[in-house]
Amino acid sequence: MGEVVLEMKNIVKDFPGVRALDDVNFEARAGEVLALVGENGAGKSTLMKVLSGVWPYPTYEGDIYIKGKLCRFRNTREAEAAKVAIIYQELNLIPGLTVAENIFLDRQFCSVVGIVNWGKVFSEAQSLLNQLGIKGVKPTDKVGELTVGKQQMVEIAKALSKSAEILVFDEPTSALTDKEVDALFATIRQLKEKGVCMTYISHKMDELQLIADRVAVLRDGKTIGEVTPMNEITMDEIINRMVGRDIKDMFPKMEGKRGEKVLEVAELHLKHPTIPGKKLLNKVSFAAHKGEILGISGLMGSGRSELVSSIFGAYRSGVSGEIRLHGKKLKIKRPKDAIDNGIALVTEDRKALGLVLGQSVLNNMTIGSLETVAQQWGIINKAKERNLAWDYISKLNIKTPGLDVAVDTLSGGNQQKVIVAKWLNTSPKVLFLDEPTRGIDIGAKVEIYNLLNKLVDEGVTVIMISSELPEIMGMCHRILVMCEGEIAAELDEREATKELIMEYGTGSKKKGE
Amino acid sequence: MNTRTGNTNFMHQLAAFLKENGTLVALVILAVIFAFMDDAFFTPRNITNLARQTTIIGIISVGMTLVIIINGIDLSVGSIVGLAAIMVTLLMQSGMNVWLAILVTLLVAGVFIGLWNGFWIAHYNIPPFIITLGMMTIARGLALTLSNGSSVPVTDPLFPKLGGSYISPAISGIIIVAALVLFFFTLYRGIQQRKKYNITIRVQKIVASTIITAAGLGLAFWVFTDYRGIPYPVAIFTVIAAAGIFLLNNTMLGRRIYAMGGNEEAARLSGIRVYRVKLIVYSIITTLSALSGILLASRLNGASPNLGNMFELDAISAVIIGGTSFSGGVGTISGTVIGAFIIGILNNGMSLLGVPTFYQLIIKGLIIILAVWFDVLSKRKSA
Ligand SMILES: Nc1ncnc2c1ncn2[C@@H]1O[C@H](COP(=O)(O)OP(=O)(O)OP(=O)(O)O)[C@@H](O)[C@H]1O
Ligand SMILES: [Mg+2]
Repeated sequence: MGEVVLEMKNIVKDFPGVRALDDVNFEARAGEVLALVGENGAGKSTLMKVLSGVWPYPTYEGDIYIKGKLCRFRNTREAEAAKVAIIYQELNLIPGLTVAENIFLDRQFCSVVGIVNWGKVFSEAQSLLNQLGIKGVKPTDKVGELTVGKQQMVEIAKALSKSAEILVFDEPTSALTDKEVDALFATIRQLKEKGVCMTYISHKMDELQLIADRVAVLRDGKTIGEVTPMNEITMDEIINRMVGRDIKDMFPKMEGKRGEKVLEVAELHLKHPTIPGKKLLNKVSFAAHKGEILGISGLMGSGRSELVSSIFGAYRSGVSGEIRLHGKKLKIKRPKDAIDNGIALVTEDRKALGLVLGQSVLNNMTIGSLETVAQQWGIINKAKERNLAWDYISKLNIKTPGLDVAVDTLSGGNQQKVIVAKWLNTSPKVLFLDEPTRGIDIGAKVEIYNLLNKLVDEGVTVIMISSELPEIMGMCHRILVMCEGEIAAELDEREATKELIMEYGTGSKKKGE
Repeated sequence: MNTRTGNTNFMHQLAAFLKENGTLVALVILAVIFAFMDDAFFTPRNITNLARQTTIIGIISVGMTLVIIINGIDLSVGSIVGLAAIMVTLLMQSGMNVWLAILVTLLVAGVFIGLWNGFWIAHYNIPPFIITLGMMTIARGLALTLSNGSSVPVTDPLFPKLGGSYISPAISGIIIVAALVLFFFTLYRGIQQRKKYNITIRVQKIVASTIITAAGLGLAFWVFTDYRGIPYPVAIFTVIAAAGIFLLNNTMLGRRIYAMGGNEEAARLSGIRVYRVKLIVYSIITTLSALSGILLASRLNGASPNLGNMFELDAISAVIIGGTSFSGGVGTISGTVIGAFIIGILNNGMSLLGVPTFYQLIIKGLIIILAVWFDVLSKRKSA
C-alpha cells in the first residue's frame, strides 16, 4: 500500500432538512481498495459526490487534499482534471447514443479540423470492453438497448477510460452477473498493481472480503471507528458499526406451510418484440401457493423479469397463455387489470420503471392506489393520504426528511422502500418482487425479509426474483430456475443447492435431468 | 450586529420570495412600467378590458397547461377557436336555440376533435406535435369551408350578452369580498390541518400568499366596482382556472396527469390507464378552445373563419412563462394564469402606447425568451 493520496477533512454537507455528512474524516491510499460501507442514507454517495465536484466547493464545509494539495472543485470537470473519476450509483448514460459515444462522451477523438475519427473511437472502446471481459456488447450498440447489467459495465468502462488516479465505485455490482463481477474484480486488481487509489461502496458483504484492503464505516453521516484493515476486523463487527447493533439472523426464514394454489400459469409464451420467431418465454407453467415464498432464479437475461412482467400485463402485445387466480381465469391486458385482481409487481429498474423522479415521496407512494385515499368524485383526502404515507414510513423505516421532498433526493435503498410501500398499499394478494433488495443495506434487507414473512403469514402469495443465491436459498421454500426463457427446474428447499441452481441456470444441466 | 443578521435574514427571505414568484414580480413590473408611460393604463376601464381580452387566451392556456404537463402539445387550439366561432354562429343562423347551438359546438368542435386528437396520439403513439399540426390545418379548413371564407354575423339578441355583459358592480363587490373571506377560511383550515398532522408550517409562504391574494382581490374590487363590474368571460375564466387548480391539486386525475408527465412508463406500470388520461386531457383542451371561440364570437358579435390565428403560440407562451416545464411532470395553473396576464398586459399596453404591431411581435418574442431564460437561471442557481 502506498502513501495517502486522498484526504477529506471535517466534511459537513447539509441538505434542506437533513445533515447528510457531519464532520466526516476520510483518507485513502494509493494502490488500495478502501471499502466504504454504511446503511442506506448514511451519506456514502454524498461524500463521494463532494469529492467529485457534483456538490461544488462552497456548498459543503471542510477540506479535500489530493496528494497533500488542497482542492476545491467548483464542478465535475475540475475534479476530472485532478484525476478523480466516479462510477455513480445511478446510471448516467445517454440511451440514444452508442456504447462508444457514451464512453468517450466528453472527449471525442478529433482531427485538427474537428472531424471525429470514428475508427479510433470504436477501436478504443472495443479494447476497453475487452479489458473488462464484456461479452455480447459491441461499441456500436445503442446503450438503451442493453440490459441494466451491461449498461453498468459500460459505465465502468467509461470511468476506466479516464485513466484516473482516484477511482470511486458506488455500488458497481448491484446489476452485474457473477461473471461480470469476476471480470470487474480482475480489472480492479490490475489497477491496484498500477497504484490507483480506489474506494469501493457496496452493500454486499461477501464482496468486501474478496476485494477490499481496508474498510471505513459511515453511520448517519458520521465516521464510526477508524479505517480498519480487513484482516483485523470481522464481518459481524463491520455490521455492528454500520447498524449499531448485531444482526444474528441474516435470513429469517419461516417454516413453509404450503396452502391452497393461488396463482396458476400455464403455457405462457412471450414473443420477441422485433425478431420474428424468437421467443423470450417458452411454455412457462408453474403454480404459486399460499403460505410459502416462491423464488425465481436464473442468469440475467434468462427471462425472469419478462416472466413476471408478462403476468402483470406490462407488455402491450406478444403474450399468450393462461393465468388463473384462485382457479378463475384472468384476462390481463394492462397493469391496471393485474392490480385490480390483486397482483402487484415491484419492478427491477427503479429509476426507469418504479419511480416518478422529480416528484414527491408522497405522490410516489400513493400513485398506484389512489382509490384508497380518495373520496367521492375522485377527490383526494389529503389528510388521510399523508397519514397513510407516514404509516408506511415508520413501518418500513424509510429515511426521509418529509413527504414533500422529491423522491430522487432519498438514498437508493430508501427509494426502493418507497416503491415497496407503493405496492403494499394496493393490498396485493399476489406480490411479485423483482430483485427487491438490490442496493439495500443489510439492516433494511432483514427488515424486508421480515416484512415478506409477515405478508406470507397474512395470506399474501409472495414470488421473488433474485440474482443472489444466498438470498434465494435463505428465504424461499420453492425455487424455479430459469434458463433461456424456460423453466429448467423446480427445486424444493430441501433439494436446492448452490451448485444445482447454477447448473440448471447456465444450461449445463437440462430440464428433467 | 443583531440588526445586520436581521437584515440579511430579510434579504434572504426576499430573495427566496422573488425566486418563487418571479413571474408575478415580472407582471407587476410590467404593469408599473405601462402605468408610468400612459395614464390611461391603470384605470378601471382599461384593466377591465385587459382582463376580458386576456380570458380568451387564458381559458385555452388552462388546458394547455395540462397538455404540456403530460409531455404533449396542442397546436390546433387556434384553429378550433375559429371553427367553434363559425359553427356556433352558423347554427344560430339556421335557427337553432342559442344554448343548443353552444352545446353542439362544444361537443363537436371541442370534445369530438379532442377525442380524435387523443385517439391518434395515444393509440398509435404518434407525436402530438404532428397530429395537432394536422388538426390545425383541418380545423381551419373546415372553418373556411363552412363559412365559405366570409364572416358570419350574429342574429340572436341573447348571444352577444355572453361575451359582452357584466355582473353588476354591487354584486361583483360582494363576490370579491366573499372570495376574500373564503380565502381566509381555507387558509385557517389549512393551518389547522397542518397542525393536526404535524406538517411544518412555512410562515413566509403563508404571509406571501396572503399579501398576494389580498392585493389581487383589492385590485379586483377597485376595478370591478368602479367601472361596470365583472365581465362574464372573466367570471367564466376564473371558474375554469379554479377548477383546473383543484383538478391538478386535489383529484386522482390530477395526480395521474403529473405522474404520467414525470414518467409515463412508471405511471403505466402503476396501473394508470395512460390511454384514457390522454383522451381526457386532449378533449379538455379542445373543449376549452371551443368555449374560447364561442366567447370571442359573442364579444365580437360575429365570427370570421380566421379568428384565433396564432392563438396556440400565445397559449403555449403563457404556459411556459408560467413555469410549466417542457420536459413534463411540472407545472401549475396559477403560474399559467400569471403568464396569460403577462401576455395580456403586453398586448394591451403596447397597443395603448401605439407601438406598431410589427414591433409588438418582436418585443413579445423577446420577452418570452427573457422569461424562460430567467426561469432556467433561477433553477440552475437553486440546484
Ligand atoms: N440531492 C439531495 N437533496 C436532498 N437530500 C439529499 C440529496 N442527496 C442525498 N440526500 C440525503 O442525504 C442523505 C445521504 O444520502 P446518500 O445518497 O449519500 O446515502 P448513501 O449512503 O449513498 O445510501 P445508499 O446506500 O442507499 O445509496 C440521505 O438522507 C438523503 O436523503
Ligand atoms: Mg448511495
